[in-house]
Amino acid sequence: MHEVILTDDEKRMLQGESGLVAQKCMEYLLELCRVSGASRLIDLDGTGDFHTPMTSMSPYYEFPIEELRKIVDEGARFAIPTFANKAPFLAQPPVQGWEHCDVCAFQNDECLQSDPAFHHKAMREEWYELYRRMGMMTTHSCANYLVDTYWPTQGQHCSWNESSAIPYCNAVLGARSNIDGSFATCFLGKTAYYDMHVTENRYATVLVETERLIATDTEWDVFGFAVGEDAGVHVPCLTGTAKPTTTQLQKLNAAMNTGGAVRMYHIPGTTPEAPTTSYAFGGKTPQRTVVIGDAALRKAYDTLNYHTGDIVDMVYLGCPHLNIVDLMMLARKLDGKKAKIPFYIMTAPWIYHVAQEMGYVESFEKAGAHLMTGSCLAAMGAVPKGVKTIALDSAKQAYYITGCYPDEDNKLEVCYGSQDDCIDAALSGRWRGEWK
Amino acid sequence: MSEKIRIPGRGEYPGKVEAEALVSPKPLEGFANNNPGRGYTTERGHPLFGVPYKGKVLVYPSPRGSGGFMSYGFGDNKPAAFVHTEGCPLSVACAMVAHIPSMTDFADDPMKYIETGDTVLVNADEGYIEITKKQ
Repeated sequence: MHEVILTDDEKRMLQGESGLVAQKCMEYLLELCRVSGASRLIDLDGTGDFHTPMTSMSPYYEFPIEELRKIVDEGARFAIPTFANKAPFLAQPPVQGWEHCDVCAFQNDECLQSDPAFHHKAMREEWYELYRRMGMMTTHSCANYLVDTYWPTQGQHCSWNESSAIPYCNAVLGARSNIDGSFATCFLGKTAYYDMHVTENRYATVLVETERLIATDTEWDVFGFAVGEDAGVHVPCLTGTAKPTTTQLQKLNAAMNTGGAVRMYHIPGTTPEAPTTSYAFGGKTPQRTVVIGDAALRKAYDTLNYHTGDIVDMVYLGCPHLNIVDLMMLARKLDGKKAKIPFYIMTAPWIYHVAQEMGYVESFEKAGAHLMTGSCLAAMGAVPKGVKTIALDSAKQAYYITGCYPDEDNKLEVCYGSQDDCIDAALSGRWRGEWK
Repeated sequence: MSEKIRIPGRGEYPGKVEAEALVSPKPLEGFANNNPGRGYTTERGHPLFGVPYKGKVLVYPSPRGSGGFMSYGFGDNKPAAFVHTEGCPLSVACAMVAHIPSMTDFADDPMKYIETGDTVLVNADEGYIEITKKQ
């Protein structure tokens, strides 16, 4: 094993001089360095988020709530601005709109999300009371960057933990994060110095070209999945696209981290570390050029679809969690309409009150759609009972949700397409979407 | 005695174990596309869909998808060791929850040599794997 160089302060923490919790966190960070190949830790000056309420990403470094309470009572604080990722594990109940959520978490009948007693228990408030006192903003969203109101600036070192959000940090904001947000990194304000923290690793190596201009939401989503499958763990430079909207960036980021593991990418002229294509590659020649042409897009679209018929039992929108403009557009599209089948829409909890104030929640209810927050079907590991075919507009959700139903006698089918295709399915109960 | 193929690499999580290889020709994906309770990938259309990895040296080209990739290291059904060509923070987190020998960054791509059913010695302490081809 390689040597990890710790500062005197870090060594003292490792020896327990700052208490048991700090010691556990430092042991975890030291192991993170050893496994990743990092030779040192870096002090974080950006932001963090982690999956709550777990006290560690690894079972070997967890500590009980009593230890947490002890340090909180002594005045412990997170070292960096810290946000909560999705709804509380394990059940991940919707934070708002749960009354309408007819999903049994992990298909366990005793975990019905719309049951008030279950919801109360699943929210695990005893943890958040402590975490809030430490300074955690309980945003409970995979896309908490939408509502954080305090973003890391270019070059700041962060510790986030959501595959669809990591490229928002790295590529969109130009800040630096690996997918390692945890209690330890946020409490100590340190993480292992490797991968996306290191400048050399952030340059593109794969040049991506297209045949058609990538412009619509669905094109960005399908393109993202195809690029992810091709680029794998490498950094692509995307050319041949229109200027992406925030919604499209959300889709791209989620889709690339479903088809692949793209923590960082460049769009010359759009993302901050790529004023030009040459700059994106750090002045070097691309190792590889790939054309994601119409055939590749078509193949990705077909992979994301997984259905034998055109009857649809349910529509789900909101992966990643929808932003406020998505909700506005959706409310307009649903005005005066009525869904024939269950229709769930998911956003971030801190957006819910704004949507309510704007009248969108009422508009959705009138159209037979329910706005929920903080969670998603794949995270809950289930769809409502009786749903055999679901319509989705998210490559990520479309590719994962079937994994919850691996048995031949309990299959789930997926109709994947545009948001308009999904709305049409909600109103008609039929799937008429096709690749355009 | 069949010839052994030795490939040096970087130990991620230490330890030494010898077991039968299970090779995934495609990247592996976790979160809802892995079921650690059953011990197999549930990614639709994946070559290893439904194939148990418990006790195997799980050989794969690279991790992909969500942070839930770490579920390959959960519980009693986890593999005996991980061997992967390329890595990223997903495979790092997975090695950390699994606490089983894990290796990457090889001098030559192990995917070129290992087939399912071969026996692989993973020596993450000394930094090499040794492949014994099945007869």
